[in-house]
Amino acid sequence: MVPGNNVFESLSDPIDVIGAFLEGRIQPLRFRWQGRVVRVRKVTGQWSRREGQTVLRYFAVESAAGESYELCYDPRSASWILSRAWTGRSRGQGR
Amino acid sequence: MMILLVDMDAFFASVEQAHHPHLRGKPVIVCGDPGRRGVVTAASYEARPSGVRAGMRLQEARRLCPDAEYVEGDPAKYVGLSLQLLDLYTRYSPDVEPFSVDEAFVGLGPEAPTLERAAEIARAIQREIDLRFGLGASIGVGPNKLVAKMASGVEKPRGLTALDPEGFRDVFWPRDIQTMWGVGPKLAERMRSLGIKTVGDLARAPVPLLKSEFGIIGPQLRECAWGEDDTPLVPYHRGLDAKSMGHEVTLAEDCDDRASLEGTLLRLSDQVARRMRGEGYVGRTVTLKLRDHRFVTVLRQRVLPDFTAEAERIYPVTRTLLNANWNGAAVRLLGVSVSELARSGEAKQSELFASEDRSQRLREALDRVRDRLGEASVVPLGTLVHRRRLSHVPFGMPQARTPVSRKPDASLGAPAARPGRSARRGRDSGDPP
Repeated sequence: MVPGNNVFESLSDPIDVIGAFLEGRIQPLRFRWQGRVVRVRKVTGQWSRREGQTVLRYFAVESAAGESYELCYDPRSASWILSRAWTGRSRGQGR
Repeated sequence: MMILLVDMDAFFASVEQAHHPHLRGKPVIVCGDPGRRGVVTAASYEARPSGVRAGMRLQEARRLCPDAEYVEGDPAKYVGLSLQLLDLYTRYSPDVEPFSVDEAFVGLGPEAPTLERAAEIARAIQREIDLRFGLGASIGVGPNKLVAKMASGVEKPRGLTALDPEGFRDVFWPRDIQTMWGVGPKLAERMRSLGIKTVGDLARAPVPLLKSEFGIIGPQLRECAWGEDDTPLVPYHRGLDAKSMGHEVTLAEDCDDRASLEGTLLRLSDQVARRMRGEGYVGRTVTLKLRDHRFVTVLRQRVLPDFTAEAERIYPVTRTLLNANWNGAAVRLLGVSVSELARSGEAKQSELFASEDRSQRLREALDRVRDRLGEASVVPLGTLVHRRRLSHVPFGMPQARTPVSRKPDASLGAPAARPGRSARRGRDSGDPP
């Protein structure tokens, strides 16, 4: 860890997500990560990134517990990745 | 015509604060990987009173603002949001000219015949940016781009300043000459030595003096000091041709290993060439930028006999320039750029004589693979030799041109190719398996 507060953990963890498709938009509602279910309280931001022909959809979300995450939806495989997490604890530090 | 300049307040840091509520109200510093050394990319308004500024070394920023939250920047995210903002502006006017990733000019037509009406529209844009993105913007309003741009800096953050030429003179004439758009520190110093200390001094300076001291730019700057500017607004859908294309990278650590430096140059050359081909350009002048650990920067260039957009031709030139100009001191930053650009169609004649059909077909095929599967799907072998050291230097185009769409989710149900491992890693910049 560097001096100062390195607030985010950069990850590339495949996750299972329950989401809703509403009015042509996708919305993550909850996901399972490290054996626990994280309930999404609010989607705080959305953006996309092109990778070849694919448009990856990114979501910044706030959990019910006040944690921050960034999720990525890959439409090629209808799969989700957890790309960044801020939980106030280091990885592997269980609850 | 009235013009707005919409300037997003501390854009990168504000985006992170909007997306991550625990960062709100805290000093936030956006940088490269905080675990590596580098520079501050952006600082939130809460961090600025400590003296932290964009471009400052991280080490210095940590000393000035030890309690700041350090966030690794995500250029693709900021570009994605910038495109969404442009989309928002085009709902107020079709005449939108991006000025940078966080600034854009918006030209208002007959719907805003007065400064007051233009200011009302600016206020509506500010409200919508806040509502949709949770971000602040400062907007300058004026009869031309110069006044709009300078007005946008009068009040920040979330400021709104509307100036007519008279208002421009009232606000800016008493201010230091360096507040003038287009006057940097060196030019300001020269002007001060002639007794031109304020914008008002410049407006009243004799034209012959300005012409003899500064050439053609002198009288032009004098007109600007009167708030006059006839630079046309070029909507981004019409676009202007680029003058050069380049990429540079601050190395993870100072490096005096020739092979690593050459590997970095190959990856940068590949990036530049991919981007040029992607945007339909070829170029002739190759420039190497080299900065050593003492911050001594060297720029060297060489002109090719004909136009190219091939990494195989750009890279050897950069390597030759490195070998001729590197004194062995540890290198901190490397950059590659190509200038003297032409549209690839226009330069075809000379290119035809130089290129072999077979390599061109191969390059086109490889481009198609990368267009479809991403930049890391096919990479030059030489860049893999030092993959650990180069892991932070992206492959190919760092951000493919993403067309602005009014229906950003329309393609959600589309393509169905299997994701490779590189796709699973979620970033094009990751090393391929």
